[in-house]
Amino acid sequence: MDEQLSFEEALNRLEKITQTLEEGGLKLEEAIALFEEGVGLAKICNERLNAAELKISQLQTPFEQGLESKDESP
Amino acid sequence: MKIYSVAEVTGYLRELLEADSLLTDLWVSGEVSNLSESAAGHLYFTLKEEASQLRCVLFHRARLALTLENGMAVVAHGRISIYEVSGTLQFYVDLVQPEGMGILHLEFERLKAKLVEEGLFEPARKRALPPFPQRIGVVTSPDSAVLHDIINIIGRRYPLVELVLSPTPVQGDGAVAGIVQAFDALNDTEGIDLVILARGGGSLEELQAFNEEKVARAIYASRAPVISGVGHDTDFTIADFVADKRAPTPSAAAELAVPHRVELEGRLQSHSRALVAALSRELERYRQRIDELTRVATMHLGNFLTISREKLRGRELKLSSLSPLATLGRGYALVQHSATGEVISHIDQVHRGDAIEVKVSDGQFKSRVTGLKKGLQAWMNSFPSKKR
Repeated sequence: MDEQLSFEEALNRLEKITQTLEEGGLKLEEAIALFEEGVGLAKICNERLNAAELKISQLQTPFEQGLESKDESP
Repeated sequence: MKIYSVAEVTGYLRELLEADSLLTDLWVSGEVSNLSESAAGHLYFTLKEEASQLRCVLFHRARLALTLENGMAVVAHGRISIYEVSGTLQFYVDLVQPEGMGILHLEFERLKAKLVEEGLFEPARKRALPPFPQRIGVVTSPDSAVLHDIINIIGRRYPLVELVLSPTPVQGDGAVAGIVQAFDALNDTEGIDLVILARGGGSLEELQAFNEEKVARAIYASRAPVISGVGHDTDFTIADFVADKRAPTPSAAAELAVPHRVELEGRLQSHSRALVAALSRELERYRQRIDELTRVATMHLGNFLTISREKLRGRELKLSSLSPLATLGRGYALVQHSATGEVISHIDQVHRGDAIEVKVSDGQFKSRVTGLKKGLQAWMNSFPSKKR
């Protein structure tokens, strides 16, 4: 799977693959290739969920700048 | 000194009145009297209080659900100007509320009515929240319990996002400007796909910033959809009405913002199971097809052999029926010239004294022609007559 894929894209692709496989009528090689891709996607999604840590950043608003300058004063 | 025309005076008065910031936006309480309705649907009445009164007009398009009646104690909002045709001072009313509401409540109702009119609350205008946001802007007070709750909830449910905090005071002086600036900062930040505007519970006064027009317009103008989570479940602010989605509390806003990992893990699991089931079905389908093909092939081969065998037997029969042996078996004989081997089928082929060979069904013997008779009749008569 493409490492650049977002979680949402990976999940959407997984849903599509499951649907395609469930509809059936594929060539055997295609079915197996889709299955392998799907299992890989599910694994990556799970890993992402487990490995993720919330990122937090803060914008500089005039209010926040005001707070900081207050903090600096004795 | 100069002499003015009436129109100059009334015009001047109008300019003066309409330049006054108090007179262009004020609330006046009083009792309704002399109520009348014009053919065009405009309402005329006076607001009176003991010895004072004020002429009022409420234009048709500004009329609200409240039905005015003489003697009713009301608070009206509008502007004061002069009606130049009659030279009278008039209060141009755009909103009437029953008396008894505090000024914040009155302002709330007035702003709400105004923004409804402008379409800021239109359901059709509400934007869908992204199902899997990546960068969520958070407009609230830094280092507040509300912010910590939001961080905890989102971190627990869906840690795949980045929270971009845009700090602002959420009450008191500077709250309105702060919230507007916080939205501005998020609008200038790349990739923000959702904004949470949050504040914990408080009194109507403490939540006032969320009932201000500037904040409402900042929410409306936000590039990303906005979830409001202000106060408690029972608090409805103007911000809630403008937001794309209203959450009853800040925590609920955080929950609405992201999917839950437990639900996602369940989805992933059911997909994995569905994949295995679907592939098994496909394989089973192929297996059955192979079985079927094998069966058909075997059947065809069997038929082919049977047919071939029958054909062969048919040929054998035909062959045996054509064989002279069968004829010989029935008492006929094959006669050949001994010298040439020529088969004799006509009387002219033999002469008296010729050596001939006679083949019967189970052997042959040599013989010599001793007499000749020509003609079929002679041949027929030679058979011994059967006695019955």
